[in-house]
Amino acid sequence: MDELVGLNDTFFSFAKAGIILLLFIYLVFTIIVVRQTKIMTETLKVGFEVTIKTLSLIQMLMVILLLVLAVIIL
Amino acid sequence: MPDIFKSSNLQKNDSELHKSQELKTIRSLPEKEIHGLKGHSHNPLAAFCYFPDHVKFVNQDPEEKVVLLLRKHPVTNIKWIFFAFIMILIPSFLPLFEFFESLPFEYITMITLMWYLFTFTFVLERFLVWFFHVSIITDERIIEVDFVHLFYREITDANIDQIQDVTVEVGGGIRTFMHFGNVVIQTAAEVPKIELEDIPGPDMVARILRDLRIEEEQEKLEGRVR
Repeated sequence: MDELVGLNDTFFSFAKAGIILLLFIYLVFTIIVVRQTKIMTETLKVGFEVTIKTLSLIQMLMVILLLVLAVIIL
Repeated sequence: MPDIFKSSNLQKNDSELHKSQELKTIRSLPEKEIHGLKGHSHNPLAAFCYFPDHVKFVNQDPEEKVVLLLRKHPVTNIKWIFFAFIMILIPSFLPLFEFFESLPFEYITMITLMWYLFTFTFVLERFLVWFFHVSIITDERIIEVDFVHLFYREITDANIDQIQDVTVEVGGGIRTFMHFGNVVIQTAAEVPKIELEDIPGPDMVARILRDLRIEEEQEKLEGRVR
């Protein structure tokens, strides 16, 4: 029984590490999206730049929040 | 006196010059009157905007005037909007899977939140691709920003006087009904073909391009080339 509990713990430790790694890669991706959005809004200005930049920043902040949450609750 | 000394070429071009004159007149209209033009819009998300107010792009000449801003028709977004809607609904069906039920509450919460984040990213990516995939027609050139996905974009431009041929393609029931299609522009520039895909009012775009070409020719004849 103890062995089963131990196996379960190992599984969840791997799951936690996997989720955190995934979110970290995702964070890098969102940073690139923010950068790309910045470049594109400089390339083309139509009066909607603030909203676009805000949306990409919100996405990045959500990933940071989720990453922190994953470290705390998992 | 009969018009035998009048060049037949000039006679033929009379009506074309008149149209070109129309475009020139529009360009010199005060801002208030431009706002009343058909196809003019203040919506930054408009797919067709005739003489847009605030459009600026990189490498724009100070005297260059944007005549048209084009995007794919909004109808082309329906497919991904539908897909996003399905993605939003998927977490509601997860409890049906036994494996998911056996997971601790924290993991269920985390997986659900991550799923919604992926959905948000998917929606944002599709929206950005639609928003930045634009074609700009100025009084001097055509610029096509091909924003394929978040990590790949291609910007093509060709001068108006390099246009060789303009073809309008409208095929299929939805395109005919919603009045959108492709405008294929053959050019003498380095990029031989510029394709404006799924744009609203392709006939009007072709007409505007024709007027601009005539105007450019007229400018050349008068020696007013910029």
